[in-house]
Amino acid sequence: MLTWLILLPVVGTAVIALIPRRRTELHLPLGTALSILPLALAIYVFYVFKPVPGYQFTEFQPWYEPWSIAWNLGIDGISMPMVLLTTILVPIALGASTRITDRTKEFVLYTLLLEAGMIGVFLSLDLFLFFVFFEAILIPMYFIIGIWGSERRVYAAMKFFIYTAFGSALMLAGIIALAITHSQQFGTTSFALFDLMNLELGLGAERWLFAAFALAFAIKVPLFPLHTWLPDAHTEAPTAGSVLLAGVLLKLGTYGLLRFNLSLFPEASVDAIWIMGILAVVGIVYGAAVAIVQPDLKKLVAYSSVSHLGFIVLGTFALTSGGLQGAVIQNVNHGLTTGALFLLVGMIYDRRHTKQIAEFGGLQKVMPIYAGFFLFMIFASIGLPGLNGFVGEFLVLVGSYTTLPVLAIVAASGVILAAIYLLWAYERVFTGIPDKDENKVLSDLSVREVSLLAPLATLVLLLGLYPNILLDKIAPSTEAVLDHIEASTDYVVPEPGRLGDVLVAKPLMAEGD
Amino acid sequence: MATPEISWIAILPELVLALGAAGVLLVEVQWKPKATVLGGIAGVALVLAAAFSIAQWVQAGDAVEVGTPGNLVVFSGLVVMDGLAVFGRFGLLAVTGFGLLAGWRYIEGLGRRGAETIALVLLATAGFSIMVAANNLVMMFLGLEVGSIALYVLAGMSRERARSDEAAIKYFLLGSFASALFIYGVALLYAGTGEFEILGMRRFLSQFVVFSPAVILIGLGMVIVGLGFKVSAAPFHSWAPDVYQGAPAGLVGYMAAMAKIAGFVAIARILLTGLSSLDANWLPIVAGIAVLSMTAGSVLALVQEDVRRMLAYSGVAHAGFIMTGVVGGSTEGVLFYLVVYALQLVGSFAVVAVVSGAANSESDLGAYRGLGRRSPRLAGSFTVLLLGMAGLPVTSGFIAKFGVFAQAWSSGFEWLVVVAVVASVIAFAFYLRIIVAMYMDEGDAEGVEVPGTIGWVLAAAVGTTILWGILPGSLLRLAANALPL
Repeated sequence: MLTWLILLPVVGTAVIALIPRRRTELHLPLGTALSILPLALAIYVFYVFKPVPGYQFTEFQPWYEPWSIAWNLGIDGISMPMVLLTTILVPIALGASTRITDRTKEFVLYTLLLEAGMIGVFLSLDLFLFFVFFEAILIPMYFIIGIWGSERRVYAAMKFFIYTAFGSALMLAGIIALAITHSQQFGTTSFALFDLMNLELGLGAERWLFAAFALAFAIKVPLFPLHTWLPDAHTEAPTAGSVLLAGVLLKLGTYGLLRFNLSLFPEASVDAIWIMGILAVVGIVYGAAVAIVQPDLKKLVAYSSVSHLGFIVLGTFALTSGGLQGAVIQNVNHGLTTGALFLLVGMIYDRRHTKQIAEFGGLQKVMPIYAGFFLFMIFASIGLPGLNGFVGEFLVLVGSYTTLPVLAIVAASGVILAAIYLLWAYERVFTGIPDKDENKVLSDLSVREVSLLAPLATLVLLLGLYPNILLDKIAPSTEAVLDHIEASTDYVVPEPGRLGDVLVAKPLMAEGD
Repeated sequence: MATPEISWIAILPELVLALGAAGVLLVEVQWKPKATVLGGIAGVALVLAAAFSIAQWVQAGDAVEVGTPGNLVVFSGLVVMDGLAVFGRFGLLAVTGFGLLAGWRYIEGLGRRGAETIALVLLATAGFSIMVAANNLVMMFLGLEVGSIALYVLAGMSRERARSDEAAIKYFLLGSFASALFIYGVALLYAGTGEFEILGMRRFLSQFVVFSPAVILIGLGMVIVGLGFKVSAAPFHSWAPDVYQGAPAGLVGYMAAMAKIAGFVAIARILLTGLSSLDANWLPIVAGIAVLSMTAGSVLALVQEDVRRMLAYSGVAHAGFIMTGVVGGSTEGVLFYLVVYALQLVGSFAVVAVVSGAANSESDLGAYRGLGRRSPRLAGSFTVLLLGMAGLPVTSGFIAKFGVFAQAWSSGFEWLVVVAVVASVIAFAFYLRIIVAMYMDEGDAEGVEVPGTIGWVLAAAVGTTILWGILPGSLLRLAANALPL
């Protein structure tokens, strides 16, 4: 079944490839329709997914035995939300791409290939396979930014590619090192995540390997100070590219840190709590501060991503139940809200061909529905209680207060800064009287555009009001990660960091608030 | 002294190729047929050579199974029929076939001189083929020279272009210099060990303790330098960009790939079998050459404005990556890499030949601007090949790189692998420059028609690049079984 999750987009590309190039009117609608298929399958997986620790629906097929590489797939509470998020965002991103009229066929092909790669990353339990997907994603994304982006697209695409490729190259060396260490200790090479989790690495080697993996993922996240590729890539990418970049590609980094760094190098992870935590918090504050002064709406959202993803990294390295659960659910939240914000920026760009905040003003009067959606997503992004952002940020802050209290307090300021830059931007763009003539004649959202935003808004509200629909399925897997760390190191999650502590001693939770 | 027994099967592939070359020339003189007929003769020779190679492969497998590998050393130790030789020859034959197809339009355009070209190609293949099967170093030298001299002439085939003449002269002078170094090294190895045979050297070194190995080591160094020239490893690569740029576009891929395959099989055979006990001495040299080639090749390729020169420097970088596999101490990764890279190289130069056109004009990067829009298939094929050479996943290039890196890491050369992965990221940048030109720059590159023969070459090169990227086992298993004696 999981194989089909990866193969359905590939089948989609094959179908699109067969459609002649001159039938341009068919490519986009058909591509969007085809990308519904993986979504349907992902929803089914979500539905039958049991809230238990460990991987479900595992598949194993040797790929090349002498190297012991295998088509080894599985899904757990950490990867399931990511797969769901990916399959939700791809049809929306394609649906939002009607402005792409040049080489539509290739655009749809690359997007579907990108989807296959992204799902593959989340499902791989074999490090070789994981790396193949992780690196293969660069190719379609490179083309999406480089061909359909705005003026400085070539520069941005190149920067994106080289930055991320550099990080993953060192990770490749790390993967080779792990497999060979396995053959030294157990007689056979292995790339399976389970096997490699049991290696006796020694602290020195473990730290190096942790660094190699963390570098690859930190560039992807991106963690301060490795974030410089992100604003360029985001600003230049077409709307669909930005949505998928912010929605899913950045999550490959946070997902990788959670899945691989914590599990493979528990000792080094425990040592790195402070370093990673500080980098995360610097990112939160720095991203927010830079976002405040951005004159470009898209860049503002891009820098807000740097800030928001800091929360996810902080939660991951808090090494508490709350932190990890918050990190996982915040991955989803950020994908939904930032994805939606990029869509919204794209929609106004389609109408006005500018993203400069100063060019707008008073749009509320002209485009009330648009303004409504924008405000709603801003509130979600700030973390207004009742919307999804609140759940994730709250869990992260509570979770990290137990282990990294100082950082949690500083990070909380990021929430306030988010309110400042987002609401200020809203004020400048939407409130007041429309004084520019171009702004007075803007048309409000079409039915198509509303139908793209509505599902995201619904999910934002659903996850805000009833997060347990997801958290119940996440929790067993994040607890398993903590169990593994506790079993293989001296680290003990301080009270009340574990889920059990919180459930028994509810009042303590209030302190972390 | 008894007459040495003659094992025809061992040299039949080379005999067929040489006879094919002679046949092409004779038929041309006698009947002056159409070029297609001559091509047909060459094709038959290649197919027969491949068939005899399969017979050798079977025989080699049998001999290893029943424990009489000694039977595979024939002609009094001049030639071996081991897996390495057969696999190497298969690579050479495949490259020759595709190389002829890729250069077919050029060969046809040469008119009556087309026959010479075909004959030279077959002779070069025969020479390199004997080189990969040679056990005796003098035999290896003969093969090397037969092959190299044919390549020198091929480089100068376009007599009307000054660049072609320059390429031929440069290639000839530096190549002869390299050959001289090689044969001098062989002489010193003989002085030190009393053996010309690679297997004999291994025997000698395992039986005797060499107290003053200076002579052997100098000989070893010279052999490495000589072969390093042939595979265009840095710092012996200076001829490569000029030759790649000057030689006829249709033939460059063939020429470069042949020299790489034959040179590296020879390096692997000499270092990994004959002189494997001296590895403490040659490992640092080879590792140093690998580092220089990878970094210099990748960095210099970045600043080129001509696609052929770019591919030449990328070839230098690839020589470094393959050297990493030699350092890893196993032929499996090296052989896989060689075949994969050779096919991508032939395919890439087939694209260059199409874009440069029948006029065989320059291959400036500007000629590729906007190619993605005008000739989507051609640009798409080139993109896959470039991504394959860059070593991105889902292409065979990734598996190849992974194989040699893993091997080097497990032999304790972790630092070399780290250098190699960084160099491969630098290399991404210039492969991407070509892709940028094709897809992201608006240019006036004209749509070009792809001749049928080149279409076949591209289909094969692109097909294998993706096939071996997804199912590498089909080729890796063969490479793993292609062991030297």
